[in-house]
Amino acid sequence: MLCDDCKKNPATIFFKEVLPEKVVELHLCGSCAHKRGLLLTKKMSPIEMLQRLLKEKSAKDEQIICGKCYLSLAEFKRIGRFGCVRCLETFKPYIKNLIKQIHHSEKHVGRHAEHGKQKGYEVYQLREQLKKALEKEAYEEAAAIRDKLKKFGVESAE
Amino acid sequence: MLNKIRWLVSGNGQHSEYADIVVSSRVRIARNVSQFNFDVKLKPADAERLLQFLRTTIGSLIKGEYIDIRQISALERESLLECHLISPAFLRKEKPTGLYISEDGDISIMLNEEDHLRIQALAAGMNIQQIADKIFSFEDSIGAELDFSFDETYGFITSCPTNLGTGFRGSVLLHLPGLVFTNEVEKVLKGALQIGMAVRGIYGEGSEIKGSLFQISNQHTLGLREEDLLQTITKLTSMIVDIEKKARDVIFSKARHEFEDKIFRSIAILRSARIISTDEVLNLLSAVRFGVGTGILKEVNLDVVNEIMLVSRPANIQLFYNEILEEHERDVRRADFIRSRLSRKTA
Repeated sequence: MLCDDCKKNPATIFFKEVLPEKVVELHLCGSCAHKRGLLLTKKMSPIEMLQRLLKEKSAKDEQIICGKCYLSLAEFKRIGRFGCVRCLETFKPYIKNLIKQIHHSEKHVGRHAEHGKQKGYEVYQLREQLKKALEKEAYEEAAAIRDKLKKFGVESAE
Repeated sequence: MLNKIRWLVSGNGQHSEYADIVVSSRVRIARNVSQFNFDVKLKPADAERLLQFLRTTIGSLIKGEYIDIRQISALERESLLECHLISPAFLRKEKPTGLYISEDGDISIMLNEEDHLRIQALAAGMNIQQIADKIFSFEDSIGAELDFSFDETYGFITSCPTNLGTGFRGSVLLHLPGLVFTNEVEKVLKGALQIGMAVRGIYGEGSEIKGSLFQISNQHTLGLREEDLLQTITKLTSMIVDIEKKARDVIFSKARHEFEDKIFRSIAILRSARIISTDEVLNLLSAVRFGVGTGILKEVNLDVVNEIMLVSRPANIQLFYNEILEEHERDVRRADFIRSRLSRKTA
């Protein structure tokens, strides 16, 4: 029997892994088994684990697309990076196991971020707009921006 | 130059206990601003907007120096890397990036690295808890201004899935000549791997280990609290320090003269050499650090050892003399610099 990967060398290693959605069976030669990271004696680092897990591709990966940044699951598997804050939510059903295998955990327990702190960026944007309005001497526009800033409870100047 | 190495060179020669074994501590957290896409989907114009926003916000919170990475020379960028203030990935970025260094040089913030913010603190010796406290207190103040990408299940959302959760990486740089001598280093480091710690050479992943220097850091960021990670690193470090001290006892009972010989030859070469490479310096400094830590070498202090370790790197030595130097010239000037540092202390 020839190796499933290179189809050249005789297969000397039989690999079987039972995943929740399917059973993977592979007949590999020594060098291809090594390439897949199956012969590692030391523990794999999270990065190595990620790279290995991302090789599991599926035909529908192209169709699963993040609604905010338009990154597809296929693209995520190619680059191993999220495109925005919402990718994780979109890909969650497909990458839950991957995250669990990388971290040996499924739940964050550390420090928390409080939501609803958009104020910082909005105030910054308004201040920038105000600066521009004043530069071009658009005083009506500037007054309107000042009113918006007041709603945030901040002064218009730094 | 002084500002960039102040975190490792205390200036008064005073160092915490075992500072010859635990050379330095580092903590970094990865954070992203939810209104902006992450690196791979961040358009250059948005990267610019985000950079200006973060710069303004951070500038209002801490006193420090802002460096626009595009405005500085390749040599200066390389120097920031050699001083551990930026990452190799940060150097390769094509999008607009910036760096904030706090006034006392202990906190540095990479803007638009793989994550929008990589907040990092460094210190000489075993000070990981103190610098973690600094980072979290800074995070509290900036977190009041920004909406960080966060998920109730997966914690802080980072560009790479391997940083999900706390986005926290704590590490210590260890100098272990005793364990190298007793051949126990592999055993100890394998033990570290078993409890979820990664072991690397001094200049990050993949590089070979030089000068008996090893870095341990946490591998996992999800499912463990920051204080648990800090505790694991602290416990493991103090365990390794104990084993290293025992190994040093073995050295003194079995090969005292050989080691003393190595220490005094090393300092003699550093004091006399006219041409010297970075790698040779690193190896000789290991013996000198060992001599200082064990009290065999009394006329040199760890500040000088640490200063030589950083300033003799290729880009730093050029910046120190403010000249572009070819490799051979660098080796000559490096030897000049080291002689001047070591003679000053013994004069």
